[in-house]
Amino acid sequence: MAETAILYDASKCTACKGCQIACKQWNQLPAPLTAEEYEFTKSYQGPLDLDPDTWLLMTFSEVSMDIGVEWNFMRHACFHCTDAACEMACPVGAISHKDNGAVVIDQDKCIGCQYCVNNCPFSIPRAKVIGGTDYAKSFKCWQCFDRTSADKDPACVTACPTDALEYGDRAEMVAKAKARVDTLKEQGFDKAEIYGENEVGGMHTIIVAHRGLEAHGLIRDPKVPVATSLLDLAKPLSAVGVGVVVGALGFSFAMGSKYKRGEHSYDEKTDTWTIGEVE
Amino acid sequence: MRYIQRQSAFARGLHWIHTIACMSLFVTGLMLFIPAVASAVGLGAMQGARTVHRVMAVIFIAAPLLAVVVNPKGFKHFLKNMFYKWDAGDKEFMAKFFPYLFTGAKQHMPEQKELKSGQALSDWMLFAFAIAISISGVFLWLSASGVAINGTLTLWMLVAHDVAFVLLGLMMFVHIYLGAGVFQPYRGSVRLMFGDGKVSESDALYHWGTWAKEELAKGDKVSVE
Repeated sequence: MAETAILYDASKCTACKGCQIACKQWNQLPAPLTAEEYEFTKSYQGPLDLDPDTWLLMTFSEVSMDIGVEWNFMRHACFHCTDAACEMACPVGAISHKDNGAVVIDQDKCIGCQYCVNNCPFSIPRAKVIGGTDYAKSFKCWQCFDRTSADKDPACVTACPTDALEYGDRAEMVAKAKARVDTLKEQGFDKAEIYGENEVGGMHTIIVAHRGLEAHGLIRDPKVPVATSLLDLAKPLSAVGVGVVVGALGFSFAMGSKYKRGEHSYDEKTDTWTIGEVE
Repeated sequence: MRYIQRQSAFARGLHWIHTIACMSLFVTGLMLFIPAVASAVGLGAMQGARTVHRVMAVIFIAAPLLAVVVNPKGFKHFLKNMFYKWDAGDKEFMAKFFPYLFTGAKQHMPEQKELKSGQALSDWMLFAFAIAISISGVFLWLSASGVAINGTLTLWMLVAHDVAFVLLGLMMFVHIYLGAGVFQPYRGSVRLMFGDGKVSESDALYHWGTWAKEELAKGDKVSVE
């Protein structure tokens, strides 16, 4: 399977939230349905943040510009990084890359340690205790791998009425994004940028941010946390450590195996220490 | 043959409890450290391992703290053995220890007090790693239980926990190799913590000459078998 990516073009997005709803619907994620259940956020953005039942969130950044207050929209969901910090931190191998680049949590393996939650530079995975158990599990966008592995587009892409979302071969998506950035610059969007081509090893969500990364709430040059990289090193280094110590003790054991000594005895009255013959 | 009572029933009991807690924590920790193990044993076993890990962690931390409260005299004795200025004999012991360990104990080692300088050093390391693994473990537990702890801090606590786990694990290999008498010249020392706590006159003189002479002269801990 070739590497694929979702292309999100913020300049085409109307923030209709069709993608957000489609994600909920396809992945059967519960949502508050009544006014009593739903917390008033004073924003069109709702909920205010991702949660274990909201894997894709349309964000509304209000920015004061020459033309007045403008909304900058962003599709906030897992970027499916090549150097995925969540995958590096997972102690049980529950997070893995699929052949197309999607980073997927295997719920049958997730033990709810939430290390992925703390390690992701974008705070994408969210955890909740599963009903009927005492254990939590982590959740995030899985790029609808059940659909993409059956040659269908992710649910969010199918719902987009303005073609702000596309899905396809990653190289093709990057090329399209670059061409779109060039067009936007010609149209006066001087700060237009592509995001995801090279960040954290290359993402499998490519973004066209027509007003610049910061204006859309994107982190410039995100990095895998140093601590996460150390965690990734800990296992091979400890294997070397165990090898060295076990080898050294084995050598010591072999060298000492024929050791014999005579009986030591002490006469406290005369302060005499005697060592007997070696048997 | 004369024997010296080196370890009290209290010390041996505490050591037993800590051994069980340590071994359980090591095994369950290993399950959480190596992804292939988790895949092999399955989710149910992993969740069980996490629960066991937490129960044993409470014992690991609480047992020595309780021991300090219940037996302050023993704790004072422990501190006295840990905090002392090394003399020439202590330094010479450490300088010769690795050649001794790897050349079939052919070095002539200097007489030692109740705690060899090498033992004190090893205890210090075990103590430091145990504190590091305990503090970081408490943070990780709180974080996983929904207590709002800064994510970066939690991440560094995870690194500290992993590093302390590896170092403590490696130190445990050495501790067991010597303490349980797997190393031929240390044969019989397993009796100290897992037996009746007694050491023969011959072994006592060989390992802790200065201390053995003092105890044999005093006689209150000496018995004949």
